[in-house]
Amino acid sequence: MQPAGPAPLLTPDVQTFLERGGSLMVGTRDADLVPELIRAWGLRISRDRKSVSVCVASAGSARTLANLRDNGRLAVTCALPLNSNAIQLWGRCLGTSKATREDLSAVGTHRDAFARMNEGLGVPRPFIEALWQRELAGSPAMVRIRFVAEQVFNQTPGPDAGSKL
Amino acid sequence: MNARPALTVPLDSIASCFEGIAPSSICSCSRDGLPNVTYLSIVHRLDEAHVGLSFQFFNKTRKNIQENPHAQVIVVQPGTANQYRLDLQYLRTETDGAVFDRMNTRLTAIASQTGMSQVFRLRGVDVYEVLECRPVNVDTAADLAGRLESMRELESFTERLDACEDLDALLGTALEALADLFGHRHSFVMFPDEEGTRLYTGASCGFEPSGVGSEVTVGEGMLGIAAERRSVVRVTNIPVDMGVARAVRSEIERRGEGSILDKEIPLPGLADVRSQLVLPLLFRSRLLGVLCLQSAERGRFLEADERVMQIVARHLAASMANMMRTDSVRPIVAALGPEPEAPAASQAVIKHYQSDDSIFIDDAYLTKGIPGRLLWKLLQAYVGSGRAAFTNKEIRLDAGIGLPDIKDNLETRLILLRRRLEERCEFVKLIHAGRGQLRLEVRRRLTLEQLP
Repeated sequence: MQPAGPAPLLTPDVQTFLERGGSLMVGTRDADLVPELIRAWGLRISRDRKSVSVCVASAGSARTLANLRDNGRLAVTCALPLNSNAIQLWGRCLGTSKATREDLSAVGTHRDAFARMNEGLGVPRPFIEALWQRELAGSPAMVRIRFVAEQVFNQTPGPDAGSKL
Repeated sequence: MNARPALTVPLDSIASCFEGIAPSSICSCSRDGLPNVTYLSIVHRLDEAHVGLSFQFFNKTRKNIQENPHAQVIVVQPGTANQYRLDLQYLRTETDGAVFDRMNTRLTAIASQTGMSQVFRLRGVDVYEVLECRPVNVDTAADLAGRLESMRELESFTERLDACEDLDALLGTALEALADLFGHRHSFVMFPDEEGTRLYTGASCGFEPSGVGSEVTVGEGMLGIAAERRSVVRVTNIPVDMGVARAVRSEIERRGEGSILDKEIPLPGLADVRSQLVLPLLFRSRLLGVLCLQSAERGRFLEADERVMQIVARHLAASMANMMRTDSVRPIVAALGPEPEAPAASQAVIKHYQSDDSIFIDDAYLTKGIPGRLLWKLLQAYVGSGRAAFTNKEIRLDAGIGLPDIKDNLETRLILLRRRLEERCEFVKLIHAGRGQLRLEVRRRLTLEQLP
């Protein structure tokens, strides 16, 4: 694990986008380059905008956490359900730990915003609530993943998807 | 032969995950170990061991799978919100064949609807082998998909249709039966015009106003593409598909390339439509029309519904074809019928504009084109000689009306004209008086004005 780099890529516009409450997915890979995905909640950006944290349900995250211990590489994509606009961060894991009270508060805020966004698209709130409740079946524990964003991409579908921001 | 071990969760037990109701995501990884995550509007289940992803743009996922065939997607099950991980291995990209055609029709329909036919193109279908399918959280049990049992409803549907005596009754009965038996409460049938370039609504159920007479262009939008390609177009989450298309549109405009975009086409029907199933009505490869089902519920029409509705559409098309040709084999009744009822004292002025055959009743627009020409001919006979009874055959043979030599369309034009009169005029009615026979019922004194 390396310390956070000096150049913050997370501009205020990017931060505003990431904190709007879109759908968050984290991708990692193992030593054989086999990928693993997991849904994440409660994205927080540090005050100096050099590091980011997200939370994942402990249940179902074993391979993700093992991959991060193995090589630290991760990608996090945030997409807004309403217009499919999306941003992807590529980064390196700084560490994982049990989610703090502040993390869980951000998770709650994110879930509420995500449910409201989806309600606007006709997705009933109970369905969105079931989405996170099912993730917690067997264990309510959440794990915090802290990482440094090394590259930021426009991930909105179209010919420019994948271009650097 | 070494068979691969069965998947932990069989794909057919979570078939609804592959309907595009809830967006999915995919993670690929480059040769140098950088994971990449992006969202997908739909993962297509090709069979029990393969899925297909649309390839529209050259992007990082495409590059990665060429370098490293491993990928993983997470799909979400509508209803339960269970998530499943599919470990995938890229096999090949298909650029033709049945799978490509089907996905291409769906994509083309959405692209056309959103004015992006030149942008949104299917370059290929990336085919992946599914190595494993497992729940994200092992403590959530797979909710097995129930099998749709529709034999009884299909039997009732065909029975009701068999009792119909003419095309008008057949269409009305069919659409009502779709609501009664299958719960599809919003439906309409569109017919092609004589040139085959436009479709117009001839019958509808569950809409207010009815939308009868509304038109779309063949080859444009979801309805027009279904007609042109004679293929089913099924969309399970229109806001998401349209949202993705609009996002791409915004990106194109941002690049200053808006000139390649066409106008977005409004979807006819429900204002809050989320699911739509469009089925071509084909009889011996001839397009008789399209049947469109709509719902405000996302995921309303699944693969199983499509199969059942295909049977419905085929039976309806065969019945329509039968109705359309019956009047030529039935005895023709005399053209002269009973005298019309004495018109009431009140008057109405009916204007006919020759330039486009539009008809205005007391300055209110009624219809145009062939239905307008038809009505004008009937009204001239009524006012000139007092005739109120007509046969389809004499109308068809009347050179003055100038019907194209496609006899099927007379029936559908008469249905459109009848519905238009029902909706917009209280004192002129076109009554169906048995197979191949019509009666004009007028309850005002009419003054006809022919204009250029």
